[in-house]
Amino acid sequence: MPLALEGSQAIARAVALCRPQVVSAYPITPQTHIVENIAKLVADGALDCEYVSVESEHSAASTALGAAAAGARAYTATASQGMLYMSEVLFDISGLRVPLVLTCANRALSGPLSIWNDQSDSMAVRDAGWIQLYCTSNQEAIDTHIQAFRIAQETTLPVMVCVDGFTLTHTMEPLELPAQETVDAFLPAHRFARMLDPQAPLTIGTMVGPEAYSEVRHDHHHALLAAADNILRANADWAAASGRDWGGLLRASGPADARIGILGLGSLIGTLEDAAEQHPELPPTRIIALRAFRPFPFEALQAICADLDELVVVERAISPGAGAIVAAEVRAALSELPRAPRVHAVAAGLGGRDIGIGLYPNLLEVAQNEKIERFRIIDLDPQRLPEELSA
Amino acid sequence: MSNKPRITPGGVAQAGAAMAYHTGSWRTQRPTHVHAIAPCHHACPAGEDPQAYLALLDEDRPREAWEALVAANPLPGVTGRVCPHFCESACNRSELDEAVAIHSVERFLGDEALAQGWAYPVDPPAADAPIVAAVGAGPAGLSFAYHALQLGWRARLFDALPEAGGVCRSAIPTYRLPRTVLDGEVERLLSLPGLEFQPHMRFGLDFDLQDLLQDHAGVFLGLGTQRPHPWDIGGAIPADLHNGLDLLKEWLDHGSIPSYRRVAVVGGGNTSVDLARVLKRAGAEHVYLVTHAALPNQGESPGDEMPALAREVAQALEEGVEILTHKGVHRLLLQGERVVGVEITHMKKLPDASGHAVRTAFEGTETVLPVDAVIPAVGEVIDPTGLEALLNGAPYLKTDQDGFAGHALVYAGGDMNGRSGTVTEAIGDGRRAAMALHARVRDVEAYAPLSPIAGWEQINPAYYEPSPRIQETVLPVAKRTGCAEIEPGPSAHQAHREAGRCLSCGMCLACDNCFTLCPDQAVLKSPENLEDGSRYVFDYDYCKGCGLCARECPCGFIQMIDEY
Amino acid sequence: MTAVPIPLSDLRRRQPRFTGISPGHRACQGCGELLAARLVTEAAGPDVVVANATGCLEVTTTNWPDSAWRVPWIHSLFENTAAVASGIEAALKAQSRSSKVLAFAGDGGTFDIGFQALSGMIERGHNVLYVCYDNEAYMNTGVQRSGSTPVGAATTTSPAGKERLGKRHLKKDILSIIAAHYMPYAATATVAYPADLRHKVRRAIEVEGPTFLLVHSPCPQGWGHDGSRTVEVARLGVQSGLVPLIELERGAVTGVMPIREPRPVADYLKAQARFRHLFADSAEAARELQHLQALAEHNIERYGLSAPGPEAHDSEGADTVRRGGNQWA
Ligand SMILES: Cc1cc2nc3c(=O)[nH]c(=O)nc-3n(C[C@H](O)[C@H](O)[C@H](O)COP(=O)(O)OP(=O)(O)OC[C@H]3O[C@@H](n4cnc5c(N)ncnc54)[C@H](O)[C@@H]3O)c2cc1C
Ligand SMILES: Cc1ncc(C[n+]2csc(CCOP(=O)(O)OP(=O)(O)O)c2C)c(N)n1
Ligand code: SF4
Ligand code: SF4
Ligand code: SF4
Ligand SMILES: [Mg+2]
Repeated sequence: MPLALEGSQAIARAVALCRPQVVSAYPITPQTHIVENIAKLVADGALDCEYVSVESEHSAASTALGAAAAGARAYTATASQGMLYMSEVLFDISGLRVPLVLTCANRALSGPLSIWNDQSDSMAVRDAGWIQLYCTSNQEAIDTHIQAFRIAQETTLPVMVCVDGFTLTHTMEPLELPAQETVDAFLPAHRFARMLDPQAPLTIGTMVGPEAYSEVRHDHHHALLAAADNILRANADWAAASGRDWGGLLRASGPADARIGILGLGSLIGTLEDAAEQHPELPPTRIIALRAFRPFPFEALQAICADLDELVVVERAISPGAGAIVAAEVRAALSELPRAPRVHAVAAGLGGRDIGIGLYPNLLEVAQNEKIERFRIIDLDPQRLPEELSA
Repeated sequence: MSNKPRITPGGVAQAGAAMAYHTGSWRTQRPTHVHAIAPCHHACPAGEDPQAYLALLDEDRPREAWEALVAANPLPGVTGRVCPHFCESACNRSELDEAVAIHSVERFLGDEALAQGWAYPVDPPAADAPIVAAVGAGPAGLSFAYHALQLGWRARLFDALPEAGGVCRSAIPTYRLPRTVLDGEVERLLSLPGLEFQPHMRFGLDFDLQDLLQDHAGVFLGLGTQRPHPWDIGGAIPADLHNGLDLLKEWLDHGSIPSYRRVAVVGGGNTSVDLARVLKRAGAEHVYLVTHAALPNQGESPGDEMPALAREVAQALEEGVEILTHKGVHRLLLQGERVVGVEITHMKKLPDASGHAVRTAFEGTETVLPVDAVIPAVGEVIDPTGLEALLNGAPYLKTDQDGFAGHALVYAGGDMNGRSGTVTEAIGDGRRAAMALHARVRDVEAYAPLSPIAGWEQINPAYYEPSPRIQETVLPVAKRTGCAEIEPGPSAHQAHREAGRCLSCGMCLACDNCFTLCPDQAVLKSPENLEDGSRYVFDYDYCKGCGLCARECPCGFIQMIDEY
Repeated sequence: MTAVPIPLSDLRRRQPRFTGISPGHRACQGCGELLAARLVTEAAGPDVVVANATGCLEVTTTNWPDSAWRVPWIHSLFENTAAVASGIEAALKAQSRSSKVLAFAGDGGTFDIGFQALSGMIERGHNVLYVCYDNEAYMNTGVQRSGSTPVGAATTTSPAGKERLGKRHLKKDILSIIAAHYMPYAATATVAYPADLRHKVRRAIEVEGPTFLLVHSPCPQGWGHDGSRTVEVARLGVQSGLVPLIELERGAVTGVMPIREPRPVADYLKAQARFRHLFADSAEAARELQHLQALAEHNIERYGLSAPGPEAHDSEGADTVRRGGNQWA
């Protein structure tokens, strides 16, 4: 029976269903409702875990790291500045190969200050060595968090589940929360073989010299690549258990004969799918939700794009001075195809700018341009630009 | 296949894997255990190692402590009472507060052994072992015989007197050396299997050197100095002259001596002081001790101090003996044959033209001291009978350090060598002579000189808590009357406590400092004592040679030496 | 040479004390920090989990594939040790495990960059013993000044020169700051008094809640003294009054190691090259020397360090030796 839940509340309850043993968090909009809800579950006795209200995101990540290294199922959540503040620790967590789950309630970065949604924060730490999964809806967010805990413990890699701030986190909608037994059956009790244990003392976090550092990085890189299988299996098993299949690494919708594709991450996918339905007059479009950004799904992407002529990548962040982030990687991946589609890059919805149905025709226009769109913010308001740029 | 370690997820390492890395290769210096000689050991003429037996007593192993003690000195009950304790003058602890009262512990162990009936840890020599001779059963001769037995010889000991003990029996008063102690130790020694005591045998009269050499594998002479030094004042000698040594013997043998009202003793050595104290006990109102020297430790130049033991002098003063320092007897005042007084003058030893110190009387300082007797106690000299060839006219029998008298297998020691003058030195002479004779005859290595010395600079004073030396109890003057011993000696508790004051100079005291403080855990501990006497061993695989252990070793047992 | 009845490696396995750190570590000869860590782990025993900040202790003990640690140990970063320890502690609690969590950091990782995390850890009441190995500068990065560096000490970022006499600012009074957290137990200790150090570690471990130990640990490299003098220098620090050994419970002083006869601060300073310039023939140098002397006297007054008379636990009696080693311990 679906429940009317706010996205954050749903995520909190999904996390609770996974029985985390240690939750550490520091508040930041729009992540706050998630951790507040978990705190309340703990306060009400509905969740038995150590809830550590740390004094900073740096410590939130560090506490989660310590807890995970000590063999506990650990969880934390953050956004934006918090993500940057803990970024030093993020690299460390993955490098030490310690499994835990983090929710990123995606938000723009300062300055100037903005509390609104885009994906600059998680994109800024894409090289942190974490698995990154992007959710298109709150139902997917519920299911992905449950899968994330299993992926983390199977791969001994940390998993970041990205959920668009406000758009998802603060939206109320009817959602299916799985039964506790279903989750328990899907998610085995937590176990971390290298855990800190006086009975079997190990040293975690040694100094590695030039003679072996490259090998450590190689190992880490391959562990991430290999995690694709775990993501797929978790998705399939959860689909069998729940009846909901989120496609694993990516998911495509639209008519099979579409020659144009639109690729995006997160909640904008739902908007695009609605728009496509509302615009049957426009050319058929394949809408691709990139669920796993790390590991980057090279093969799956090549397969889903092989028959396309045009692909528009919608960025929710910008790499100033270069522009595209996701598209740069997509172009590189598709360049291996014998007949690759043209890849256009646009950014939309930065700093909370609304992404509406109206974006869809604009994207198709880009696809049909003569020139490849290298990169452009598509929803600019020229009137707000300085004069010299508004021309 | 390569045996390079393969990386693990996250670079995890196994516990203690660093043991594979041997930091010992960094070292340029290495710590070593060096059993340096404690200053007390070095200073003891008898060769005792007080550090060793203090340590054993501190570990509450009194019998082993005593055995370590009698390895060098068979008469600790005697020396614990009468020795001027050379050891204590050298004790490093005096730099910290006060020297360890070693003699108290020595005495305690000596007495404890007598009380418990402990036997010397000496194996009897073989029945057909060669036999050596010792003439004179004083401390020197007794010690020689004892050490000869320890080295596997048999020994024959001769003395002119009916009983052994030498001056300890004939002159040292019982109030400071009770007969029970002397008898106990001497009898225990004489009854050792392999030792044969022949009393009433006077060398030079009943037998001579030739006889001895004929029958024995070696000879030791320890005849002491039995003859009073000749004495007169400008040629005058009182008619009823007694000399000090005779009077002491009389008192020791009969418990009485002529009583005087006012008496002057001339001297400054042990005999004069003991005699003065005995005279006081015998009832003299005034006992003057006239000496040209200063009191002990108050001399103005070398040789300007009474040779008597400081402690005895102090007790004599307490008992009312009047010591007239820097004075000399200038003239006897006689009424007929009878002494009625002495004229004394101020006197000092001053260098003459050639730089020799000579006694100088100062004109105009003459004072008359009315006395009814004057007794010289100005030292004793050798009785040369039977020694003429060896002495060759000299007042003493010259020997080398080992006691070799330069003739055949003849050794000598004790008072007769002109160097020694105490019981302890005599015991040491006897011991060294036995070892030297043994080394020479058996062609084994002579004992090694004692080095290096663990001086004060080797001690780390930070680790020793100040702790006062025991205060020996002495009978109040009023009770010091008869022959009873005036110092009751330390209690067992006091002796143990005093043993605990020892700094253990130069020898591991098992404090654990090196074991605890090595940043590299390169000091390992063993449950049992190791060959070097400690329980610690360096693991040079890991020792970086920082030298911390050596510096923090409280007692200087660890020394750094260069690696290359 | 000593004859040992069994191979050393066997003897090592049978040592009477458990030590959390093995030899083979790469610390300098006579390193006070490694000595301190050794003593702390010895007192703490095997049932611990250690979180360790970046610094000399970490880089000298964990050179992959080697590790000198015999207890479970994790290094994360420089400033987050208290937070990592908090997480470990929370995990142990969640798993109903009872091992004690130890957090180890240098003075840089404690007084400066890691202070916030430490404050948070204490405020939240985690059951962690936090040990700061205080060698009074950032040693691992080459002897830069820290909030713990004493005034007048030369470091590579507070060098002495024509215009400067080393560090111009006072050593941060970290203990008072820690104690102000309504701390159950906070104490100072030093490598010069191992018995006192052990006692404090055990006391701190007994407490169910956050505890703090500041261990003065001379660094031969950074302080400029011979490695053999590490303990001696540490001892002089205490005996001069510059390094007070105290215990605080809920902010109140509950224990001090009294000083029988204070040594002049100059004795301590002279032993170290980092204070050499204070002995120059100038009025400024003399004034700074007096300043340090006054700081020591201030400590003595403030904590009542003057001993009324000799006692077993004063700075001269505290580590006096006995023939104790004959016991197998
Ligand atoms: C009054 C007095 C007090 C003293 N107090 C102290 C003191 O407090 N502490 C201290 O350390 N020292 C003291 N001394 C000195 C100490 O007693 C002597 O240094 C020591 O006894 C010398 O020992 P010895 O074996 O060389 O000679 P002696 O003790 O003199 O023994 C020589 C032995 O040889 C025997 N003998 C001699 N001639 C012959 C012979 N021809 N044939 C056979 N046997 C012979 C004697 O009978 C005697 O038994 C004192 C001496 C005197 C006189
Ligand atoms: C965030 C961060 N800043 C700076 C450093 C560089 N760094 C590593 S160790 C260290 C100094 C450590 O000093 P301290 O904590 O006193 O330990 P010590 O080496 O003296 O034992 C510094 C500055 C770092 N590792 N991380
Ligand atoms: S303290 Fe340790 S490393 Fe230093 S010299 Fe002694 S045994 Fe060697
Ligand atoms: S430091 Fe202590 S245990 Fe080590 S050798 Fe010296 S006395 Fe012996
Ligand atoms: S630099 Fe100092 S703290 Fe670092 S290892 Fe060397 S002595 Fe120890
Ligand atoms: Mg430091």
